[in-house]
Amino acid sequence: MKKIIGAASGLAMIASWAFAEPQGTFRQAHEVGSGSGSSLDPISKGRVFQVTEKIMSRLVRPDMEGRPSPDLAVKWSANADATEWTMELRSGVTFHDGTTFDAEDVVYSLERVLDPEMDSPARSAISMITNVEAIDESTVKLTLGSSFADLPLLLMDYRLRMIPEGSGDMIATTGIGTGPFKLERFDAEGTTKLVANMDYYEGAPAVAEMEIIGITDGQARLQALLGGQIDMERGITSQQRVMLEGSDKFNVQTIPTGNWRGLIFRTDVAPFSDVRVRQAMRMVADRQAMVDLVMGGGAVVACDTPVGPRDQYRAELDCPQDIEGAKALLAEAGFADGLDVDLYVATLEPTWPVLAEVYQKQAAAAGIRVNIKQVPSDGYWSEVWMQKDAVTTRWNERPADQALNEIYLSTAKWNESYYKDKAFDALLSQARSELDFDKRRDLYAQAQAHLLQTAGTLIPYHVTRLVGTTARVSNLDEVENNSVRWHLVSVD
Amino acid sequence: MLAMLFRRLGLGAITVWLVSVIIFLGVEMLPGDACTAFLEREAKGKLLENCREDLGLNRPALMRYTEWAKGAVQGDLGVSAKGQKPISELVGYRLRNTLLLASGAILAGIPLALFLGVVSALWRDRPVDIVVSTLAIFAMTIPEFVSATLLILVFSVWLGWVPGIVLTPANAPLVEFFPEVLLPITVLTLVMTAHILRTVRSSVIEALASDYAQMARLKGVPYWQMVFRHVLPNALLPAINVIALTIAWLLGGVVVIETVFNYPGLGRMMIDSISDRDLPVTQAIALIIATVYVGVNLAADILTLLANPRLRTMHIRKG
Repeated sequence: MKKIIGAASGLAMIASWAFAEPQGTFRQAHEVGSGSGSSLDPISKGRVFQVTEKIMSRLVRPDMEGRPSPDLAVKWSANADATEWTMELRSGVTFHDGTTFDAEDVVYSLERVLDPEMDSPARSAISMITNVEAIDESTVKLTLGSSFADLPLLLMDYRLRMIPEGSGDMIATTGIGTGPFKLERFDAEGTTKLVANMDYYEGAPAVAEMEIIGITDGQARLQALLGGQIDMERGITSQQRVMLEGSDKFNVQTIPTGNWRGLIFRTDVAPFSDVRVRQAMRMVADRQAMVDLVMGGGAVVACDTPVGPRDQYRAELDCPQDIEGAKALLAEAGFADGLDVDLYVATLEPTWPVLAEVYQKQAAAAGIRVNIKQVPSDGYWSEVWMQKDAVTTRWNERPADQALNEIYLSTAKWNESYYKDKAFDALLSQARSELDFDKRRDLYAQAQAHLLQTAGTLIPYHVTRLVGTTARVSNLDEVENNSVRWHLVSVD
Repeated sequence: MLAMLFRRLGLGAITVWLVSVIIFLGVEMLPGDACTAFLEREAKGKLLENCREDLGLNRPALMRYTEWAKGAVQGDLGVSAKGQKPISELVGYRLRNTLLLASGAILAGIPLALFLGVVSALWRDRPVDIVVSTLAIFAMTIPEFVSATLLILVFSVWLGWVPGIVLTPANAPLVEFFPEVLLPITVLTLVMTAHILRTVRSSVIEALASDYAQMARLKGVPYWQMVFRHVLPNALLPAINVIALTIAWLLGGVVVIETVFNYPGLGRMMIDSISDRDLPVTQAIALIIATVYVGVNLAADILTLLANPRLRTMHIRKG
């Protein structure tokens, strides 16, 4: 009986909610990372993703567990060797300007990403696609240069959003898409206004308006949240969390992510070209201590794998601190008296200097003398990272295959540790073409275990994201931006 | 007097030019350029080349400077490196907003500072002086970002009277900045009042102890008449220079306050443009700030001359 009542009231809730008019304004801030170069072109460097994620849709999007689920594509299938993918598109979807969404728009949007002239940062994510073809109005065929069993995972990339055919030149300002919200006014450094798209294919949004406000200073963003001027701030620090948790005016969501921070020892220069030295450099780390000291407990330990804790391909690895083992390896490699390392650090990522100092203390136990060199944040990516022998790095979450391929493959554009390993490359290409899920997972796990043996990159943890909201916000999915269903969010 | 004015104007122009050269060299010397700042770790290969080509960054520095200077002399400040918008348009609103902030602080702060300064000097070492002077020391020495954060905590988070952060876009009509602008004005008023009132206090005390004040008192001039006729006019002259410096500081964009409050003024724009390596915008703002400094100081000197008969007639007597 209870069950029936529960179900009935649940239904009633859903019904009242489905017929409710959108109401209220949801406000959030963004950091204006690209300054006046900000744009609404989802594949440009200056895209303001806090806006594009609400006004444009992808073919495939992550569900609450991060697995591919239908968005503008409702079904997909591959041929036997996963070189041809057929995507069946949702019908009856219209863009904000009233035009109908069809296969030609998909062809246009994807070809635009692949166009070498555009040189989009998103290109490398789907570079294995060699041809995009419209079979009929609601079917698209993607042809790949090599077998790739997890194409849908890559199509979930937050940049791969569908725009109307031929709109490339204007999209940066018009922002026309098929998302739950429509652009009313775009002002990256001021307030961008979005209004509910009543024709959204999953139902009208719960809020009538969204405001995405540019606030560059992190402290100012927190104060705006505390003062109730914005409703959500993603990425508050563990120190700031204390301020919010004590009050019933705010809620804090804790979301494990695949974002990582790390230390890189270039594998192509001495002494790190010796794999034993690289192993030792990583064995001295007490990762749990790093999580506690650097992140205030807000992170999940990683064993030098870039694959996030919630990724289906994450390998189960074990990597306790081993000072004696490290000493032995160093002695074997000819550094019985220890060695000196210059580690370059900037405040670009506020946790880097702390991480470096903790590492310095831990490494000292094995005779590794880390000399921390503080360099300016300006020009860090162009003059320090991938230039100096030992540096700090940070990356945002990406699917397992992308993380391993873009950063560790011999030929990768962002091979930041100059890691070249034939066995690893072979494992990856095998995994990509393996159609059986369990076997594929096994291959990716082997690749990660191989990294733990040989890599030059120390990845001690994946960051847990803290999202602060005001108490008036409800139905905000407790997942990363990439998966949030924004049309469900409501405010009192 | 006129000759002096022209000489000062000429010197001012040279100062402004030197500032533009120094700023240009400074930004050039920073690691990275507009393209690496924008592209971050994607700054390589074709993307970087295209970007440098678009912004004309692959030409020699000297050439870029002369081109910019030529335009600036003709009143054309150029185009923002990234937004591709005319700078005069971008900077115009920011300048207006900074003026709003500054004039609010000036209107509230200067009368307050003069009043408190004179009061605490006349009642020297009495409770009122001790309270005012102590508070002034606090206001001066607590860094403004700390007092700003405290005020936000009290007035916007706890009491909820005024918004803590300014969310109004730079080009909104001025009225829309109320009441958001009140807190930043309060913080600025605190700091500048403290500075000015201390100068006023000490110069009034000095004037009270001067020979002419003693003389007036001995002659039997009533106390208040002596204060208003003899002490204050003389004591307030040195304050003019302090006030001028404060005004110049305010008009130059108060970087820290604007950042803490997210206020869309010149100061924040300066910081943003430097971190973007947006040289044309940085130069334009530096030019404005330098001109304001030179102009306000010149005005202060002229005011002092006009107010002080001895300085005014010095040249004539010599001649």
